[in-house]
Amino acid sequence: MSRNKNFDVEQMAREYMHRDPAEILKLALGNFENIAISFSGAEDVVLIDMAVKINPKVNVFSLDTGRLHPETYRFIEQVRNHYRLPIDVLSPDQAALEKFVREKGLYSFYKDGHKECCGIRKVMPLRKKLNTLDAWITGQRKDQSPGTRADVPVVEKDTAFSTDSHTLIKFNPLSFWTSAQVWQYIRENDVPYNELHNEGYISIGCEPCTRPVLPNQHEREGRWWWEDATMKECGLHAGNKQKKTA
Amino acid sequence: MNISMIKKIKEDGSPCRKCAEVELRLKEAGLFNRIDQVIIADERDPDSAGMHLAAQYEVDRAPFFLVEKEGEAPRIYTVYLKFLKEVLGTTASEQDEAKDILEKNPDLDFL
Repeated sequence: MSRNKNFDVEQMAREYMHRDPAEILKLALGNFENIAISFSGAEDVVLIDMAVKINPKVNVFSLDTGRLHPETYRFIEQVRNHYRLPIDVLSPDQAALEKFVREKGLYSFYKDGHKECCGIRKVMPLRKKLNTLDAWITGQRKDQSPGTRADVPVVEKDTAFSTDSHTLIKFNPLSFWTSAQVWQYIRENDVPYNELHNEGYISIGCEPCTRPVLPNQHEREGRWWWEDATMKECGLHAGNKQKKTA
Repeated sequence: MNISMIKKIKEDGSPCRKCAEVELRLKEAGLFNRIDQVIIADERDPDSAGMHLAAQYEVDRAPFFLVEKEGEAPRIYTVYLKFLKEVLGTTASEQDEAKDILEKNPDLDFL
């Protein structure tokens, strides 16, 4: 249940745009009881570190796609023990997953793109979970993917998962932090982190879809690196046609 | 009502991945027989019918659907789920919806 029925999303987004992530978390946890942090098993652990200082019993969930690195599973367990939090680990719908794997195999994403697989392993369980919440908190940052995250407000109405009968609020407290700021916080506060970061991984997702990156490579280059060409293949270059026929 | 599906053939002669996928989804749902004709937009042939339609309706991605009804302006659908709902009067599977959410919200990739 929401503590504040009159929570003004747009006003809060403006007011908190450049506030410290801990203040944004305080806003979130102070206004919503039925709220949870989405923890990916990577550097968004800083959200948990900040949140437990506000509410030691903060709700946390993690999406177990079934394809995470062993290091990530160990890290989720480490976080559970370190912060003494009962992390809600969500699994894909078994029937949907079995049907998908039976029809497409275990590595269809290399050919068909990752979205179908992510849809089943990640989005379906996420949507099911979010249907039970009034608000959620993510570690999304503007600098993670310049192409798609040019605008990540610190708080927004979640248009992807809200329905006609259920408004969901999404908090992105790290939106305006850079990767360097996140890591500064981790070091200064002795926050546990996924050991894959020691091996050159920046963005960490499923094992087949994640790779380490070289110095000065953007973290996006460590995810779905084979897709750049294939995902553009459905463009229809009508402009070219017009030029040719002109 | 007349429904056309415009799908793309790439320069190497193969169908675009997304077009093949949407066609398969329609067939699996038993809806492909609701499509009156399939029109090819062939990258190798700028004068192919599909390329002309793409230019005419200023569509920049395949596949897309052209829905024509007597007495009404033609409607173009580039979003499969919207086409399913508004034209074929059916709902998408949860799996299709999940994929659609991800396509519309690429920021979810990094959760």
